[in-house]
Amino acid sequence: MEMLQKDMEMMADTAHPEIPAEFFALAGEKIVIETTDLDFYYSAESHALKKVNIRIPYRKVTAFIGPSGCGKSTLLRCFNRMNDLIPGSFLKGKVLIEGEDIYKNGIRLEELRKKVGMVFQKSNPFPMSVWENVAFGPRVNGITNKSELEEMVESSLKQADLWKEIKDRLQASALDLSGGQQQRLCIARTLANKPDIILMDEPASALDPISTGKIEETINELKEEYTIVIVTHNMQQAGRISDYTAFMMLGEMVEFDTTKKIFTNPKEKMTEDYITGRFG
Amino acid sequence: MERRISYFKQKGDSYIFAASLGLVISLGMVVWIILVILTRGLSFFWPRDTVLVKLQNDSAYLGEMWESKTVYRVDAEGKEHKEEQFQLKIGNRDLYGRDFIWLTRAQVSEESDPTEAVTIERREYGKFFGFIRLVQIGDERFEQPGEILIEKAQEAHRLAIATRERIENTQEDLNNLMQPLANLQREITLLQLSPQAKTEKGQQKLAELQEEATKQEQSIADEYGILNQELERLTLQNRSIILTVATAEGAEKEIYFSEIVRFFQPNMMSGPAKAWIYAGKLWEFVADEPRESNTEGGVFPAIFGTVVMVLLMSIAVVPFGVMAAIYLNEYARQGTMIRFIRLSVNNLAGVPSIVFGVFGLGFFIYAVGGSIDQFFFSDKLPEPTFGTGGILWASLTLALLTLPVVVVATEEGLLAVPRANKEGALALGATRWQMIRKVVLPNALPGILTGLILAISRGAGEVAPLMITGVVKLAPTLAIDGSFPFLHLDRKFMHLGFHIYDVGFQSPNVEAAKPMVYTTALLLIVIVVLLNLVAIYFRNRLRKKYRGSTF
Repeated sequence: MEMLQKDMEMMADTAHPEIPAEFFALAGEKIVIETTDLDFYYSAESHALKKVNIRIPYRKVTAFIGPSGCGKSTLLRCFNRMNDLIPGSFLKGKVLIEGEDIYKNGIRLEELRKKVGMVFQKSNPFPMSVWENVAFGPRVNGITNKSELEEMVESSLKQADLWKEIKDRLQASALDLSGGQQQRLCIARTLANKPDIILMDEPASALDPISTGKIEETINELKEEYTIVIVTHNMQQAGRISDYTAFMMLGEMVEFDTTKKIFTNPKEKMTEDYITGRFG
Repeated sequence: MERRISYFKQKGDSYIFAASLGLVISLGMVVWIILVILTRGLSFFWPRDTVLVKLQNDSAYLGEMWESKTVYRVDAEGKEHKEEQFQLKIGNRDLYGRDFIWLTRAQVSEESDPTEAVTIERREYGKFFGFIRLVQIGDERFEQPGEILIEKAQEAHRLAIATRERIENTQEDLNNLMQPLANLQREITLLQLSPQAKTEKGQQKLAELQEEATKQEQSIADEYGILNQELERLTLQNRSIILTVATAEGAEKEIYFSEIVRFFQPNMMSGPAKAWIYAGKLWEFVADEPRESNTEGGVFPAIFGTVVMVLLMSIAVVPFGVMAAIYLNEYARQGTMIRFIRLSVNNLAGVPSIVFGVFGLGFFIYAVGGSIDQFFFSDKLPEPTFGTGGILWASLTLALLTLPVVVVATEEGLLAVPRANKEGALALGATRWQMIRKVVLPNALPGILTGLILAISRGAGEVAPLMITGVVKLAPTLAIDGSFPFLHLDRKFMHLGFHIYDVGFQSPNVEAAKPMVYTTALLLIVIVVLLNLVAIYFRNRLRKKYRGSTF
């Protein structure tokens, strides 16, 4: 065991000098999101993320797991700067997306959020028609051509596995859809922006098992084309859909590895206890 | 036992009872007020039967029975006497000098309801109660009593009314003809009054204008003569259509038919016939202009003024209120400053309305209106155009008064927009403004409309600030009419709320005008309810569309 670890550390050191030891599992992957010593404070007293360093690989599904309040959603929201909306909050450290510091001055939030889409825990379709919901993103980003929009709506709904079910109801109110359909509509809405990265904040936690299954299927199909970061409470779900898993605890990143490794042979005792259900 | 009492206390039944009693009392009072206004307001127009009362002292009165009551009077020996009193509306103000008398039963020797008694509503001096003696149409005279007389009277009335209309039309033609000349003469007068008149240049201009006036006078002289002759002929014709009536005591009185609004014989009329008269009077009330210093006729100008003012107020208050609320809620950084501003806005709602009136007078009328006059209407000075009360200034004053209501309701509407929807929009790359326009505002619209509803309710009933910013007892013209530029923002206007005050407390004949107060109040309530219903209808439609929000 000790030998193996030493071996791998050596490998990491020689082959990819820029990758820190804890990310040796990512050898050979292209890195899309990278944080260095990221600290996030909701207020001066509330320190939510502590010196988090993470690497998110290109076109893979990365899952964040951990008990409630461990900061996984907070970390996710740092990637598209949704935390900016919280008055009094501030951040230290760096977040690089495709090599660019997204917290430096002069970054256009709209551009960033178009590139880094987000699906929320609770489905939040706008009180408009299905079509208008999906076309919302392209429209606010300046696309007005009707046929172009039609095309985008159709392809996004197809990608989100929703087209077959609701192609005849595009003008119906999005609020009339079922909960699972609403969440897939929100995924389609995000896809319509043609993002590079999709952040998913417990996308299936409010859904029944069948709808959850459909969402997971969709995610499996999407990872061919998108980098996906998903926060989940559901260990089995993380095991089923993700390639890499990060375990977080009290605002710190405890362990990052391939999902298989985390679930079968975690390095840290804490990770093992959590996975096996001894706490959390 | 003690335990039971404490349980009773715990349950708090007595407090629940007290609370429900409070509700019952409030509801009861609201229902009572509405019932009083409804019955008094609506019964005013019903044609009442007339009674002929002969008294012990040989005098006699014909009139409507209005009220009766029992009073106890103590005589010189200390004995108590019961006395039945009743109030009779005797009309005939031109003869008796008063509309009502109180009589005691003991004074009455004979009481009857003569079928041939007529009630005549006149344009002046109120109602006349009496008997038809003679109908004159030119040289024709009819005086046999009976149905034919009534028919002839009706014929004469139709003729007189038609002639009256022609007179009015001719007068209007005459006015239109004279208008350019009148303008010119006004200019001459103003020039003569101004210091400019003493200069040589002024004299020259004056001479020019006078020459122009003479020219115009000559050119319209012929037409003026024809119209004037026509007017004279029609007036004379109407003077020859005369109704002679007699009072209960037999005194005769001549009335021109053209001065009669309507007449009928209430004691021989059937229910439907009375209902027809009732409907006619109701329509007259809603659609006609007031007569007799507002105590009779209609209140159409007041309805019109109220509605136009409320609409102008809404147009002014909604955009400002919504913009303020959006800034406070969505853009401003929440802190002490914003808290202070919000507190000030809320306190603004508690400022007495007359203070707003004074502000409107000082700021809108004298400062803004005065400047407008100096820059754009200096030729008309010293006669003010915008520098005096008008519907625009009154509406703006009320808009200011209702601004806090709209701001607060809009803010609540904005707060009710689900955070998830806002975040969803931002996460899709929308700017803050795009988020507000496409997600927040549509969602908050029901809340904004709630604000508008409250503003209308408050604004439509407000009188005090209007009295110093443009309301008048009688406005000769409406704020919107057919002459350019159609919407006359500088005009003074009439208002139902002020009308109530004016009719009820400022009219020369308060007793006769009392029912009018109830009717006008009823109308004001109806209009406020109608305006609210329109807003509520739109709010419900929006609510259906945006089920997510709670407003």
